[in-house]
Amino acid sequence: MAVLEKNEMLTIAEKTVQLATAKGACEAEVYVYEEQASNVGIEFGQVNKTDQIIDRGIGVRVIVNKTVGFAYTNIINDPSTLEAIVVQAISAAKASKPDSDWLGFVQKKPYAPKLNGTFDSKILELCSEELVTLSQNMLDSAVKVDKAVLAAEGGIGKAYFSNAIVNSNGVYGFDRGTFIECSLATLAKDGNKVTPVCFEFNAARNYNVDPVWVGREAANLSVSALKTKKPIKTQTMSLILTQFALQELLGYTLFNAVKADSVQRGQSPFKGKIGEKIVSENITIYDDGLYPGGMRTGLFDDEGTPHQKTLLIDKGVLKTFLYDNYTAKKEGKESTGNAARAGYLSTPNIGTTNFHIMPKTTLADDMLLQVDNGLLVYYLQGAHSSNPVSGDFSVVATPVWKIQHGEIVFAARDVMLAGNIFEVLKNVKIVGNNERQVGGLIAPWIMVDNVRVIGK
Amino acid sequence: MQHVLLKAIEVAMQKYGACYAEARAQRLYKTMFTLKETRVEVAKQGIENGVAIRVLVNGAWGFASVGSFDSDILLSAVSNACVMAKTASFKLKTPIKLATTKPVIDNVGVKSKKNPADIALEDKIRDLSQISRAIQTFDSRIKSCTVDYLDLTGSNFFVNSEGSNIQQDKMFVWSKIAASAESSGVFTFSREEIGSTLGYEVFDDQHPPQEIGEIVAKRAIDQLSAKSLKGGKTPVVLGPNVVGVFVHEAFGHLAEADLALSGGVLFNALGAKIGSDLVTFYDDGTIPGAFGSFKYDDEGVSAQKTLLIKDGVVQGLMHNRETAYKFNVQSTGNARAEDFRVEPIIRMRNTYMEPRDCAFEELLEGVKSGYYFKSFRGGQANIDGTFQVGIQEGYEIVNGEIGAPVRNASISGNTLETLLNVDAVGKDFALDSGRCGKGQTVFIGDGGPHVRLSEVVVGGSA
Repeated sequence: MAVLEKNEMLTIAEKTVQLATAKGACEAEVYVYEEQASNVGIEFGQVNKTDQIIDRGIGVRVIVNKTVGFAYTNIINDPSTLEAIVVQAISAAKASKPDSDWLGFVQKKPYAPKLNGTFDSKILELCSEELVTLSQNMLDSAVKVDKAVLAAEGGIGKAYFSNAIVNSNGVYGFDRGTFIECSLATLAKDGNKVTPVCFEFNAARNYNVDPVWVGREAANLSVSALKTKKPIKTQTMSLILTQFALQELLGYTLFNAVKADSVQRGQSPFKGKIGEKIVSENITIYDDGLYPGGMRTGLFDDEGTPHQKTLLIDKGVLKTFLYDNYTAKKEGKESTGNAARAGYLSTPNIGTTNFHIMPKTTLADDMLLQVDNGLLVYYLQGAHSSNPVSGDFSVVATPVWKIQHGEIVFAARDVMLAGNIFEVLKNVKIVGNNERQVGGLIAPWIMVDNVRVIGK
Repeated sequence: MQHVLLKAIEVAMQKYGACYAEARAQRLYKTMFTLKETRVEVAKQGIENGVAIRVLVNGAWGFASVGSFDSDILLSAVSNACVMAKTASFKLKTPIKLATTKPVIDNVGVKSKKNPADIALEDKIRDLSQISRAIQTFDSRIKSCTVDYLDLTGSNFFVNSEGSNIQQDKMFVWSKIAASAESSGVFTFSREEIGSTLGYEVFDDQHPPQEIGEIVAKRAIDQLSAKSLKGGKTPVVLGPNVVGVFVHEAFGHLAEADLALSGGVLFNALGAKIGSDLVTFYDDGTIPGAFGSFKYDDEGVSAQKTLLIKDGVVQGLMHNRETAYKFNVQSTGNARAEDFRVEPIIRMRNTYMEPRDCAFEELLEGVKSGYYFKSFRGGQANIDGTFQVGIQEGYEIVNGEIGAPVRNASISGNTLETLLNVDAVGKDFALDSGRCGKGQTVFIGDGGPHVRLSEVVVGGSA
């Protein structure tokens, strides 16, 4: 099915805004979203499934006398359904209680003229035969590494997505993008010994992925994870955290602590600490919604505020929090362009864009050399059970490798890590130069010391 | 509705040479809102329409989803699904086949005392606001509370090329309640989820708003005075809420046949003794009103009560039709799709441990020094049998008595070792409601009695 064109989306949005104000909304905001995705899947060691999804819909948010209501539908070509959801949004607002902090939707601001690296027509043109071939190549390169390797699941997916936002204050925006990802989860089996799942992936906004590398690396990881030796004893150790581990640990804790909503509601340990040193001076972090080729890069956020590059933490010192329109106006500030929706079915909440932990100069190998007794932590299990407010965590590290005198010596099992992420971030000793993008996080490896490791 | 779907299937079979085809249509209505402290953040209502087409062509799956009932759009989805499946089939070594199942023709309605569709949004906001109020007035150290509410109603239509034709109405009521507290720099957090397929009456008898609010608030406050615990191996007593998530995470996922086939540790375990004699687990889709219950799964197979492990011996896995064929068994009715946007995959329903005969005090009596973990916060399993369950409410056990509260705990281990350490099982029983993520989110139930483990690794930072 052909994708919705820019004008079609903007026209639907604009007309629905007009309908909402005509029906009694004081202010109206309409978000139109479309996604067309195709995937080829690997399961049980073979390429055996495909899927295609076309999902488009509209979300209408209205303000009626300082109350807010929202309604959505995916039936966008039917005027009577659009009218019905406008009425529902208004009735949802009327069912709510007035909120004196609601100071209106976003005002119009100029967007960047053009973004680089977020749209690639080559991705659109990839046909299913090519996706099948690429998947097969990835699978072949994985099983070629060692006969102990099993490909548990994976595949290649490509997507086109676009969104339009229009509101009654003059906001009028359209943006589109592409995305491709190949991923493979493997494990290795030797007799009764099974490794944990080892995962590798490539994802990009332009057609720049290497399925053969992904297959080989995923397989190498699982082969290496088979080489266990002795149990780790309970002790305090240095850790090298890879991007996957960082994403898990920070995603449920630090990401929340810098959101203005958490701060305003007393859920952030950073409340009142702007200008103070909160983490190691080795840490500088930007939230960068304009990062070239970033997974979360776009012209504007999901309320229509232009994306920007925000300095969050400068050499350990907290500079600002992340705001959407509501929380910014509540403090008389400007939104930092951090309103995020989960598609047309959801209302905006504060979300990080590309959370960029700035790299330094240390090579990964040199970082290893600095560790006398420690662990290289690839993934974590159970990070979502961290205390999102205090930052306390108690998680399993798997797969994980023991480092001794600067060398990776064997894969470790039955390893738990416990502590407080905000304390851990004060103990960052080395920041690497090997940055990569994992979802909404762009970061290098990071070495920390003094973490409680619970072994067997 | 069925007429359009039958046409789509006919085209898949006759024009594109599919050997199996199914069409699943949904019309869904949702009402959602979030209360933050006393504020209604935003109330939301929505309507969705959509169809999922799934075909087997030359032994490979093709799937297409569209947000429309329009017959031209459906036929183009059928064409896409079939052409893509055919392309994928070129590399197949083992063509996919499905276990046979009896075609079903049925129409399943929803019976509830209080259908959420009949209740005004104002009334729902008023009722749930009682929870926020109960939390906020509980103690001045409460800093925030968030109450999420969702109800989902609608119809599912399922037809396949084998003659099944099912209309099944859906109704879910769900709420998540979270509170945070702070005192002299100590931050605590507490949460609870409730869910029902019975109806909005879940707030009348099962979970009155005042009561649920007080439970969540009290936990956040009690945790303020909790101390960090020492990590290491120790005996523990787990409450039904933790046992449920342990059964779900540590064992349940491994007993999903797709994960077993992907190299999981239960692949060859049928008939193997992997737990103590006290370990009996079920996955049951037939419990009336439970959050993971339904009559037919998304392949048109009847939900059932599936025995997974009895007296420590593995009895069976959870199957869809594809994995059932590989194991030469019948599907257990575990194929579930979150909605029309995604394909059905093997998911749990209500997974629980069967009670035995110990009183709670007897479980504690045997523990000289250990922990009582009453309530969980998150859990995760790995295919190699490593599990982790985070704890949001726990206490020391000293000489058989419950002592001071502890915080920032979790338990971890290998399932196959841990099930052997179940050394006493209580006679009580509770089933909780939750959501499970496996790429898609579905509603599930899990539970059991109080249980004692002779030892497990506890993660703590002291």
